[in-house]
Amino acid sequence: MARLLAKEKLGALIRGAMDKKYRVVGPAREHGIVLFGELSDPAALCLDELNTQNSVKEFFFPKTEPILKYALGKHDVALADDFAAPRTVLIGGRACDARSLVALDRLFGWDYKDKFYFARREATCVITLACDRFDEACFCTSLGFGPRAPEGSDVLLVPVEGDAYLVEVVTDKGGALVAELADIFTEGTPGAEKVAYPEKKFELAAIKPWLERNFEHPFWNEEFLACLGCGTCTYQCPACYCFDIVDEGDIHGGQRCKNWDSCQLALFTRHTSGHNPRPTQASRWRQRLSHKFAYYPGKFGYEACVGCGRCIRNCPVGLSILDKLVLIGREAAAAPAEPAGAQP
Amino acid sequence: MARDNIYLPYLMKVDGVRDETRDVRTLRLKFARDEDAAGFSFKAGQFGEYSVFGAGECTFCIANSPTRAGYIECTFRKAGRVTKALRDLEVGDTMGFRGPYGNVFPLESWYGKSVLFIAGGIALPPMRCVIWNCLDLRDKFKDITVIYGARTVGDLVYKDELREWGERPDMKLIQTVDPGGETPDWRGQIGFVPTVLEKAAPPSADTIAVVCGPPIMLKFTFPVLDRLGFARTDVYTTMENRMKCGLGKCGRCNVGAIYICKEGPVFTAEQVARMPAEY
Repeated sequence: MARLLAKEKLGALIRGAMDKKYRVVGPAREHGIVLFGELSDPAALCLDELNTQNSVKEFFFPKTEPILKYALGKHDVALADDFAAPRTVLIGGRACDARSLVALDRLFGWDYKDKFYFARREATCVITLACDRFDEACFCTSLGFGPRAPEGSDVLLVPVEGDAYLVEVVTDKGGALVAELADIFTEGTPGAEKVAYPEKKFELAAIKPWLERNFEHPFWNEEFLACLGCGTCTYQCPACYCFDIVDEGDIHGGQRCKNWDSCQLALFTRHTSGHNPRPTQASRWRQRLSHKFAYYPGKFGYEACVGCGRCIRNCPVGLSILDKLVLIGREAAAAPAEPAGAQP
Repeated sequence: MARDNIYLPYLMKVDGVRDETRDVRTLRLKFARDEDAAGFSFKAGQFGEYSVFGAGECTFCIANSPTRAGYIECTFRKAGRVTKALRDLEVGDTMGFRGPYGNVFPLESWYGKSVLFIAGGIALPPMRCVIWNCLDLRDKFKDITVIYGARTVGDLVYKDELREWGERPDMKLIQTVDPGGETPDWRGQIGFVPTVLEKAAPPSADTIAVVCGPPIMLKFTFPVLDRLGFARTDVYTTMENRMKCGLGKCGRCNVGAIYICKEGPVFTAEQVARMPAEY
């Protein structure tokens, strides 16, 4: 016997969470685009699209958020940082979305702990839907996990035969929510799982060593000439986290905000003197790829990429990080690294 | 307010203002609240985020020595929105400071050795902290030499302290300005810092070199130190890249896999040589 949720009961699950005073965030269609947003009505939940346009990160690390408020006196300043994270149920994300949270936890938690991020993490219960389909931009399986991986989720809903989901409780927090809404679930024997696995497209283990050996390589200039530097890839990425700190206010006071920023923008690294350590778009792409697949895993043990494919589907010039990873995989296979300790 | 907000600055009062050049100014800051002052300490080489509420934050090294406790100094050139707002502050005004961040110069490991400081232009402020730290512990070191250059005589910062250092019998100061930057009464050297360094040829035996300047100066100074016989592990520098958070999170100050704000800003020339050319 296992815990099941009939597909037609998804709305009841959302209604139940709302009745328990949770804010519910899920995919909904807005002006023709499916976006994660706060749901005001369970009927607004829209699971037509494989993936939403925006990622779930903005419900933990918003596009812009005040990190302090200041009131200006003649010579004095008063500071405040009143902040509370609403109790939230986040439903309808995918295994890739959930994994991005595990990657982001490492960044916001190491050494100095970002209380804004973690307050939202703690206040949010993540209910993930395993995928019953994929498209050509999906590559979770190439990153060593897959469409029904539980990591980062509190509850995992796996579609099974018989128009139902198998309910897997992943964390205590997820267990508590399921217990709170117990009457929506049923017990039964689950049908066969309807999970769709994209084929593995490159050898992950080869990517980091290749990047570490090839900081200087014609690849960077040749492959990324088309990039416009618009930053769409980084803003839609669930695992990108670069931010700026900016004051907004008037003569009486205002707030200091943490705003999303992007390594793809030329000003991102430009010094006051005008010197720019990353002067070309190729060097910014090298940063993006190297950061995701060499620097971040080197430091935190996780790739800062989850294979969701958003950056690929939405790039205005059709650049695909997946294509580039496949190319790197081929290059690495054609010219394997020297054995450790070998001298040229 | 609880200090669990890592982005929350200390409130500071401007305690002194000094103009160094036509566009470079030094501010002396004191903590607005005694409990903040009591819990604060830093070491030579560390940096912070200085802010004017309404204008934003800016990254500078702490310019005074930790041996002179009770205040913080920063020296900056008016260049953008925040430095303009900092320049508009007057004695008694309130501003913000977050820090100290980053690693330190390992001064204790230099005890018993000579120290050679090489700085260019607006890069003297981060080094001034270390110079005064060494001078305040003068008997711990052998020879102390400072080679400092700027584009013009007018661009030399800390002119009073340069005069004091020039007059001190227990240290040597070599000043230089770029060709064309001299005035009729200039009595220092004329030439770029790496050239003047090569000509002065300070001995490398038992000597630590500390270099700070723009990337182009580092590029030309390290080879000179190599030729003078300095081991790269005895050559230190403090690197600056654009930073926002100082906490290893905002994601922009890295050179390859190295985050300047966490693993730096202090590096040896040997570490710099292993970095990719991205600084």
